[in-house]
Amino acid sequence: MSRQTRTGRRASGRWWRFALLTVITLIVLVPVLAVMWLCFRPSSSSSSHAFFTLENLTHVFRDTDVLIWFRNSLVVTFATVLVSVAVAAPAGYALSRGRGRAISGYSLLLFVVQSLPIITAVIPLFILFARFGLTDSLLGLTIIYVGSTISVATWMMAAYIDTIPIALEEAAWADGTGIWGSFLRIVLRNSLPGILSTATFAFLVAWNDYLVALVFLRSSGRFTLPVGIETFFQQHATDWGSVMAVSVVMLLPPAIVFGALNRYFSVGGIGGSLAGR
Amino acid sequence: MSAPEISRTATHGANAPDESDRAPGAAPIGRRHSRRGRSRALTLLVLVAPSVLLLAVINGYPVVYGLVQSTHDSTLISSGAWTGLANYTHVFTDPSFWSATLFTLIFTVVGVFGSWAVGLGLALLLRTSVPGATAFKVLLMLPWVVPVVVSTTAWNWLIATSESPIPKLIHALGFADPMFLSDPTTAKVTVCLFKVWASFPFMMVMMSSALAAVDHALYEASSLDGAGRWQQLTRITLPNIGRSTYISWILMMIFCVNDFPSIYLLTGGGPANSTTTLIVLAYRTVFQNFQVGTGVAIAFVLTAALVLVSVVLYRQIRKVETA
Repeated sequence: MSRQTRTGRRASGRWWRFALLTVITLIVLVPVLAVMWLCFRPSSSSSSHAFFTLENLTHVFRDTDVLIWFRNSLVVTFATVLVSVAVAAPAGYALSRGRGRAISGYSLLLFVVQSLPIITAVIPLFILFARFGLTDSLLGLTIIYVGSTISVATWMMAAYIDTIPIALEEAAWADGTGIWGSFLRIVLRNSLPGILSTATFAFLVAWNDYLVALVFLRSSGRFTLPVGIETFFQQHATDWGSVMAVSVVMLLPPAIVFGALNRYFSVGGIGGSLAGR
Repeated sequence: MSAPEISRTATHGANAPDESDRAPGAAPIGRRHSRRGRSRALTLLVLVAPSVLLLAVINGYPVVYGLVQSTHDSTLISSGAWTGLANYTHVFTDPSFWSATLFTLIFTVVGVFGSWAVGLGLALLLRTSVPGATAFKVLLMLPWVVPVVVSTTAWNWLIATSESPIPKLIHALGFADPMFLSDPTTAKVTVCLFKVWASFPFMMVMMSSALAAVDHALYEASSLDGAGRWQQLTRITLPNIGRSTYISWILMMIFCVNDFPSIYLLTGGGPANSTTTLIVLAYRTVFQNFQVGTGVAIAFVLTAALVLVSVVLYRQIRKVETA
């Protein structure tokens, strides 16, 4: 076989694979395209005949509680991200640098905890939180989200801190710096990618949660977007334009966060940290 | 994925913190009881304390309290009278528990292996030279990034009734309406396929990073020896990504068993309870039938099974790791 036909065949193979992937991607994205289509088209009740319209979006923001739900979702999500990273980073450091039975026992415990179905926790916590007025409250919701992200977040931080050479810290210790000092000034300062991927994980958990919010939130003023959107289905005929407008509002923040940080966020990192322990 | 492991073996060696704890020139003896060693252990304790506290309140307390509830005639406000194992015998003699168990198994098996097969296929395809591979990777991640509430909404619009676009299209092509969500058997298939659709990107990323670590020289050597593509896949690729595959199966198993919103928002567990999994059953028993003790007992059986299976598998990872 001459060299030319071989490279020619290879090049045509490239385009076949390109065509195949294009078809697959289009099929896979049908639901996402449907959301976009319905969001930016005039709804069935509208008099407009424009091809592209923002009236569904302006309608849901102006006439419904969507702005409040959006704000609630943002507040809960950012609080969860901040607290989870603040708790997981030091714990991950201890898990990464410490040795011994207590540490490996703790790492097994984290593994068990992350496999617990959230429904098991939700019912008793609902009763406990009712006593402190933390049901139907964004604070209560945040506490549960932090609790449910903490095991994986700790692993992710530990796995990242493992990649920071301990020699850097040893030099500091020799100069009389304590563990606190080396943790704050050396490890944390070099952990930005680990922190960002942990933050992305916590962001997705808190932003996407449905079950906990469904159980804990009762009044419309406290709803987050995933439970808020459900109120649109209670009417007899669903106004799909409004539903899809809310869907777009829900979909954009994770898409933006993921798009911006996806090079830090390797799902493999979670698996890798699991494997190492 | 490989970087942490390399450094891990490094920290296991002479650089282990116990050793490095002593300053150069310090006496090696009595290190464990030295003031410095103790203060170091204390600092590590302070560092983990907040996470331990959170785990105890958010994950530990509910387990203990749940055990109490499951042995009482509980309501949402009070624990009620002690009933021993009555809730558990009630659960185990209830046919709806066993049908939910069966569907949980089906949903998990299809979810895990279906998403793995699709994810691995795409990862293999994306590994070859394709124009715009990065763009495909990002776009194909979307089903996993989109909140489940949004994707179930979109699927509901596409397939829920006979007036939805896809059933209409199928009808226009001359086929009968498959009744995606209203026929018990078809609904089972639909829910499983939804899970595959929503989960394959996770597998694709896991498999891509595993494939990236496979040594290229192995393929060159084997093609010199005359190995075909299929042989390369089964003899080189699959054995070399074995550990990552195993880990991703375990994680996906946990995701599937714990998945509430996919099913609840697509079918609500219906029609005729055909798509009810254990987690949906537990939710409905507590929050719709208000049988708190029974609902918690269901959640506990599920928890016990999942913890048992995952601890066994966790140990297995370490064996695979050292093998």
